[in-house]
Amino acid sequence: MLTYTVKRVIGTVPVLLLITLLVFGLLQLAPGDPADILLPEEATHEDIAEARARWGLDKPFHEQYLNFLVSAVQGDFGESFRYKESVLELLTQRFPATLELTFFATLLAVLIGVPLGVWAGARPNSWVDNFGSVFGFFGISMPSFWMGIMLILIVSGYFNLLPSAGRETYGIAGPTITGFYTVDSLIEGNWKGFFDALSYIIMPAATLGVNMLGILMRVTRSAILDVTHEEFVTTARAKGLSGQVVLWRHIVRNALITIITVVGLELGTLLSGSIIVETVFAWPGIGNLLINGLGTRDYPLITGVVLAYTVLFVTVNFLIDISYGAIDPRIRFD
Amino acid sequence: MRVSASARMASRIAACAVLATGVAVGATASAETRLTIGITSNLSTVNPYGDSASHLYGLWGEIYGNLCRYSFDKGGYVGHLAEKWVVEDENTWLFHLKKGMKFHNGTEVTAKDVVHSFFRMSKDPESSQKQNSSRKIKSVEAVDKYTVKMISHKPTSSLLSYICGLWAITSKDAYDKYGAKEADKNHPYGAGPYKLKEFVIGNRMVLEKAEGNPFLRPGSPDIVIVRKMTESEQRVTALLNGEVQIAQFIPPHLLSRVEKSKNSRLVPTSSVEIMFLAMNPAMKPWDNKKVRQAVCHAINREGIVKALLKGQAQLLQGPIGPGQYAYNPDHKPVYDYNPEKAKKLLAEAGYAKGVDVDLYTPVARYVNDKQITQAMVPMLNAVGIRTKLHTPEWVTQWANVRKGKVPFFYQGRGSVIDPGPALSQYFETGVSPRIKFSSADYDKLMQAERAAFDEKKRIATLRQAMSVLTEEAPACFMWTHTLQYGVANSVDYQPRPDGRPYMSEATMKN
Repeated sequence: MLTYTVKRVIGTVPVLLLITLLVFGLLQLAPGDPADILLPEEATHEDIAEARARWGLDKPFHEQYLNFLVSAVQGDFGESFRYKESVLELLTQRFPATLELTFFATLLAVLIGVPLGVWAGARPNSWVDNFGSVFGFFGISMPSFWMGIMLILIVSGYFNLLPSAGRETYGIAGPTITGFYTVDSLIEGNWKGFFDALSYIIMPAATLGVNMLGILMRVTRSAILDVTHEEFVTTARAKGLSGQVVLWRHIVRNALITIITVVGLELGTLLSGSIIVETVFAWPGIGNLLINGLGTRDYPLITGVVLAYTVLFVTVNFLIDISYGAIDPRIRFD
Repeated sequence: MRVSASARMASRIAACAVLATGVAVGATASAETRLTIGITSNLSTVNPYGDSASHLYGLWGEIYGNLCRYSFDKGGYVGHLAEKWVVEDENTWLFHLKKGMKFHNGTEVTAKDVVHSFFRMSKDPESSQKQNSSRKIKSVEAVDKYTVKMISHKPTSSLLSYICGLWAITSKDAYDKYGAKEADKNHPYGAGPYKLKEFVIGNRMVLEKAEGNPFLRPGSPDIVIVRKMTESEQRVTALLNGEVQIAQFIPPHLLSRVEKSKNSRLVPTSSVEIMFLAMNPAMKPWDNKKVRQAVCHAINREGIVKALLKGQAQLLQGPIGPGQYAYNPDHKPVYDYNPEKAKKLLAEAGYAKGVDVDLYTPVARYVNDKQITQAMVPMLNAVGIRTKLHTPEWVTQWANVRKGKVPFFYQGRGSVIDPGPALSQYFETGVSPRIKFSSADYDKLMQAERAAFDEKKRIATLRQAMSVLTEEAPACFMWTHTLQYGVANSVDYQPRPDGRPYMSEATMKN
């Protein structure tokens, strides 16, 4: 297990290098210069040249990239051109918001999508299957920006049930401990803060998770149907086990590897979706930060955020790989 | 009675929703008055000199205080921390500070703080204001405790437009004791009506009333929360369900939602952002004045304002409109919508068979920018100016405009209260390469207006310069937008044309 973990960690190094190189290269190729955007209208050519020199943009590409790598290894991702703050500090402030949103979106997708898929797979061509299929296709085909705006209009605007934007009502949340407002308020025993945080996260999480929910529902249904026709299921039934036991202990458990793999892969889609969702709901996460960074060609910020997303994606997939062993004892990592 | 599992789950979800709603609504119920404003622009840095965006000048002004501000009610500059100012000679200005003005930590605002503020603005490497707010000034010195002497590089009669409402006066003592970053973050002592309580970069700013501050009004809110909300649907919804009490910039297609609301209303204000179609005379066919004039006659501005802006704009008959300094109400319209005249001018310019041009616009930078320029294309085509529309990303467009690479583009210039600086920047020879227009007559008039300290003379000179510009048409001046704010009925607030959110001017109704 340790050898496997070390190998995986070493294996992520080239991935991270490639990602940073790609981001750096693409940013250089993209038209528009940070100094042109960030300096006021009255800035002269000299002002622009001075800002470029201060930000190291006057150096050749390879030198800029090497400087970035050397600093990044030491935990310094540079200073945001726009916000004039350390990128690491900005990421530390914003990352918990994105993680919390992603967690709730995944939770929602798994808690609804998997049972619905199991139900549909266990009763193919029934009304449940038909309903699940429609629901699944709805989730898959729904653009998140549109769904977000519709939820704001209907749930907040028309019914006034939930707040339309942001992450908390000012003054209700207690001190920041983990950065996850729902968790922090529970630790503090601040129920008002917990429900406040929950009320803010429901709509963004639903918007973000609906696509994954649809996919999980469809994949679970297929996996259940596939496993249902396996010989060991017939044997289990022949032994006289009840339908529920066969379904949950034998069929679902064997379908889980497919489901979990899809959760890991879909996390990438979820993370990219969070960029849009955070903008629509003014959610103060790193996706929101990335959008602002792109609009001003804030190179250190963009690179830092993309790296954070990459690390998150790689880590989650690593954890999913590890979980295979727990689900299926036949899988060994040594 | 037997209750199914799904029914139980449904009831739990409903209970959670009700509880959450209760929290969201009940959260604001307290004795203190709280006003939340949803703004469209970024809250980028806690450094009061670190960003030159108009809204941030306003917010920092409310915390730190300004020397002076522009009063749209009085039509001129008025003192804030300064009591008065005197032009000693054409390069020397004396500012007399009000006595007894206190920073939030109780120390008095003196001339050394003004000198320090100039120092930070012009020397702080993170300052984004040195290019516009302090560049015209050669030196600032304290004559005595309450008098500041400013010396400009050249005679600049419009000097106040570089100072008033722009310079935030920060405490020298706090800077000396804590350094710039620490002072800005944790000791932001100002002399304005509000103290900075919280600043979450890119997200939220919280201000708390500085009790006893002379700039506060009876009914000024105790707490002001400034929230960045870029999506217009989001701002309007938040206004209608009471999450915010002021929503900036309601776009034309959402006006009816606020109009129908029982708890909020629309409050319009004119804008000091002039919108124009710029034509770069360094490129063909824009080197020909008649082609430029043909463009101005080809566009049905009234039609665009009516159909696409829902009437939310005032047509410009020259570079500026009512409410802006040196506006001439007697100025007669020069460019009416007249396609026949446009065709004639084009033929006289040697393009009887028409001409191919490329028009550039940013997307979602200005109100309905893409739709407006799309509407212009068939109008231009109809007179023989065969137009291809390009819609680059703003970052690309702006970089190219700044380098003078864009031949024909739709553009706005904000903060034009006194038009002198903006008109110099865009149209005076050699000041910036954006339009590359050059006219000896215009240049002479602009130099003369800067040296004119007699107001009547200056206004007359500026008007002459604007007449030359209108005739030469390096740009067709289109309109200024009417800015619509959504304001809750529980608040009295009149937004300013320059977009500065001076929240002490808002009052809560009982």
